[in-house]
Amino acid sequence: MRARWALVALGALLAAWPWLAPRYFVFLASLILVNAVVALGLNLLSGYTNQLSFGHAGFLAIGAYTAALLTLHAPAVPVVATLAAAGALTAVVGLAFGVPCLRLSGLYLAMATLAFGFVITEAILNLDGLTRGADGLRVPVARLGGWALATDTARYYLVAGVTVLLVAAAANLARTRTGRALLAIRESEIAAQASGVPVARYKTIAFGVSAFYTGVAGGLFAFIVGFLSPDAFDVFMSVDFVVMIIVGGLGSVPGSIVGAAVVTVLHDSLAGFQNYRPLIFGVILVACMLFMPGGIAGFGARLARR
Amino acid sequence: MRSLMSSLVAVLILGASSPATAQQGVTEREIVLGCSNSFSGPLAFTGEQATKFGVDLYLKVVNDAGGIHGRRVRTVYYDDGYKPQDAVANTRKLVEQDRIFAVIAPQGTPPVVATLEYLEENRVPLLFPFQGSPVTRGRKYVFSGMTLYDRQAKMMIDYLAGQRKYRTFGVLYQDDEYGKAFLTAFEKDLGRHNLKLAAAESVKRGASDVSAQIAKLQAARPQVTFLVLTPGPGAQALKERQKIGWTDTVMVSSGPLTDERYLALAADAAEGVEGLSLWPDPLTSDLPGVKAYRAAMQKYFGKNEPNRYSLSGYFAAMLFTEGARRAGKTLTRESLVTALEGIKGWDSGILPPITIGPDHETQRQGFWVRVEKGRFKQLTDWLTSD
Amino acid sequence: MTTAALVHVIVSGLATGSVYALMALSLVIIYNATRTLNFAQGEMLMISTFVAWSVQQAFALPLLVTLPVAVLAAAAVALVFERLVIRRAIGATHWDVLIITLGLSLALRAVAGLAWSHDEFPFPSFFPSRPIALGPVRVAPVSLGIIGASLALMLALAALFRWTRLGRAMRAVSQNQRAARLMGISVERVYSLAWVLAAVVGAIAGVLVAPVIFLSSKMGLIVINGFTAAVLGGFGSMPGAVLGGMLLGVLENLAPLYLPSGIRYSVPFIVLIAILLVRPAGLLGRVEPRKV
Repeated sequence: MRARWALVALGALLAAWPWLAPRYFVFLASLILVNAVVALGLNLLSGYTNQLSFGHAGFLAIGAYTAALLTLHAPAVPVVATLAAAGALTAVVGLAFGVPCLRLSGLYLAMATLAFGFVITEAILNLDGLTRGADGLRVPVARLGGWALATDTARYYLVAGVTVLLVAAAANLARTRTGRALLAIRESEIAAQASGVPVARYKTIAFGVSAFYTGVAGGLFAFIVGFLSPDAFDVFMSVDFVVMIIVGGLGSVPGSIVGAAVVTVLHDSLAGFQNYRPLIFGVILVACMLFMPGGIAGFGARLARR
Repeated sequence: MRSLMSSLVAVLILGASSPATAQQGVTEREIVLGCSNSFSGPLAFTGEQATKFGVDLYLKVVNDAGGIHGRRVRTVYYDDGYKPQDAVANTRKLVEQDRIFAVIAPQGTPPVVATLEYLEENRVPLLFPFQGSPVTRGRKYVFSGMTLYDRQAKMMIDYLAGQRKYRTFGVLYQDDEYGKAFLTAFEKDLGRHNLKLAAAESVKRGASDVSAQIAKLQAARPQVTFLVLTPGPGAQALKERQKIGWTDTVMVSSGPLTDERYLALAADAAEGVEGLSLWPDPLTSDLPGVKAYRAAMQKYFGKNEPNRYSLSGYFAAMLFTEGARRAGKTLTRESLVTALEGIKGWDSGILPPITIGPDHETQRQGFWVRVEKGRFKQLTDWLTSD
Repeated sequence: MTTAALVHVIVSGLATGSVYALMALSLVIIYNATRTLNFAQGEMLMISTFVAWSVQQAFALPLLVTLPVAVLAAAAVALVFERLVIRRAIGATHWDVLIITLGLSLALRAVAGLAWSHDEFPFPSFFPSRPIALGPVRVAPVSLGIIGASLALMLALAALFRWTRLGRAMRAVSQNQRAARLMGISVERVYSLAWVLAAVVGAIAGVLVAPVIFLSSKMGLIVINGFTAAVLGGFGSMPGAVLGGMLLGVLENLAPLYLPSGIRYSVPFIVLIAILLVRPAGLLGRVEPRKV
């Protein structure tokens, strides 16, 4: 009962935010929601099927550039279709990558994703006839019907709408057969296989869905940020996403959102202390693994049990 | 739950309570300036020098003397690591959250050019960026901070092909707007002398290994090889050509590269290297402005060595102060722009007299140098680029 | 491309390759003993090289001093970190340790930036810079020096593992931890020693390579080349690490000559992906059956 009231309050805050907050914080809220979608996608892969990825910035880049280029060359396409296309293309790349990687175990897979993330940004950099390479690409304004999403507020509502949909889908996943299979794989891959769960198929699905989520987030990211360059989608951005799900809690939907919020706000408020930022993030990671391995979600669950 | 609500409310109140001033970034007591610059990555050294030991150095002198019309000047800097996407994000934060009056002395062609549209839309002045892409010429709110690249190229080619009579040229350039602007300008200026480039090799921004490119350039045997790079790969290029024993070419550095910085990195491989220097020698020049700069550096940052990067930042702050003083007590972005446009024949004590016209170019100068015993020796007087 | 130029490029490649080989060896040493990957290996190398440089500059000591100072600094960092942090996580899964070392690498990089700034610094070379002429071929003395020093270190390591008690203990732990413990070997001590040994190897690699690539806080990224080298040779195999390193170094130097110059930085990643997809066991490794 309390949970339902909390959700309603949260929803109201979400809807009213642009009227309450100054312009920059509206942008920041959009960024938090976009990162939450990426964290959800990453959690699907890493939290559920234990395939840790250090290359998700690459997926984000594919989604971002796809959305930007589509809007640039085919402005008549409505923004929702553009986002879906960004997600779909990223999912295809994710599957193309995920399938051969099925037989790689944890450590090798992690390093392979790191390599993959780099190869993606290099490809974007080298396709400079299309992407403008190292000089960067200005993202045109998104259009919903005849209406141009030219303000931070308009873009915020687009982001919020898409995010709510994707979060609901992820939350419902746990109740479906796919969700149960993923949970089983997370607990023990061998046991799941022995119980008849087609592990390879579900790991592949996880890869694809994770990439889809991140691709859609990439499209949203492009619209709210307004300018893209491949060198920003580096391994440190991928590490930021990993920090989000570790801090939030592996395999937890609310954890992904909380983790994304914490990391995004911390990242922004430490902008004046950029020399200390990686130090703080590194210490947070170490402390989290040593003292709070379930992340904030795990901590919250323990509190709730008392 | 209750504490969560109250902290949220606190955030909203704090965030929404920014005072509505007549002009953003200017209050009774202070002016706020800022920029996105490099404090990490390939231009970390130049970025730190230009801002913290350049702009801030001059502003310390100004603030200690009472400020500009009684207003102290404060600066805010964020690191973009030479990445255009981060530069745009930082600049937005500066304008919308830190509420700066103007952007001063950001660095790097791709990052600065990426922010042009946003700054124009929001009518924020972009003052004296440490880059020279011709794209920034003639924009209402933009004033250049360096001799623009097409002028630099013209001076370099006219001197080398015209005066020194070299015929074959090669170029090692950074593969982005910085390098390509020079490449286009070189080709155009060589065409005026009825010459063509013998070879051109590119280096990715952020990369430091140039061994393959140097090998390929050597195969084309140019008499002059231009280096349009940042200090790291620039020094690597000199070290690499020493390693392979390629002695029969003159290495020439572009304006932004010409500073003792990359000489220090290249050590003895820099002997005999030439270049276009955009600034007087910060260590030995006895122009009055440069001497004042050295004195200020000694007083406030005694351990920091003078160099052309901090000198350029110092000069940027000096030019801003001159414009703001002329604009008077009612300082707005418009009044600053008008004041700067009115600067004619102004002697800074550092550069030849400055006249700012409708193209908003503040600098058109450069002179030739050659490295002898680890230091630049001046070979010519100020060259003309008109 | 003349033969002389080609030889020069290959020798340069073998030199960077030797450094990759040392990096790969240090990763493999820790992995074999503890079954974890140390993400922070590169940053530890970077910090110890910086410390050595600072000491040498501050006290105007002869250049040779940088080597033992780097080694000591590396050993100290490794010991402190292993005891304070890794030891606590000894019951944790390998994921957790991986993430912990990731956090350490972020923190070390930031500390280096705070202590020395993110700028790049010239590191004086042990070897003269004028190229040596061997017939028509020109070779840089620094390349030969790096190859020679690395080979000497590799031989020393081989001797350590084969002929000393410590080496045998480490090999025992890497083969079967429980059996080793039953035989009276202190697994905890072997863990610590593996970390220290790996850090020492890394420190020497750092001092050797710093004159070539400049000293800077991003030197730690060399761990990616080291990992690729180890996988290429067969992860877990020490001769494989050496072979993989040399091969990777040469490939990195040859590729930009015949392909667009920008490909150099993609080479380790392309090689890594290719090997993992085609033959994950690497050139010299054996495919390990998964134990259920």
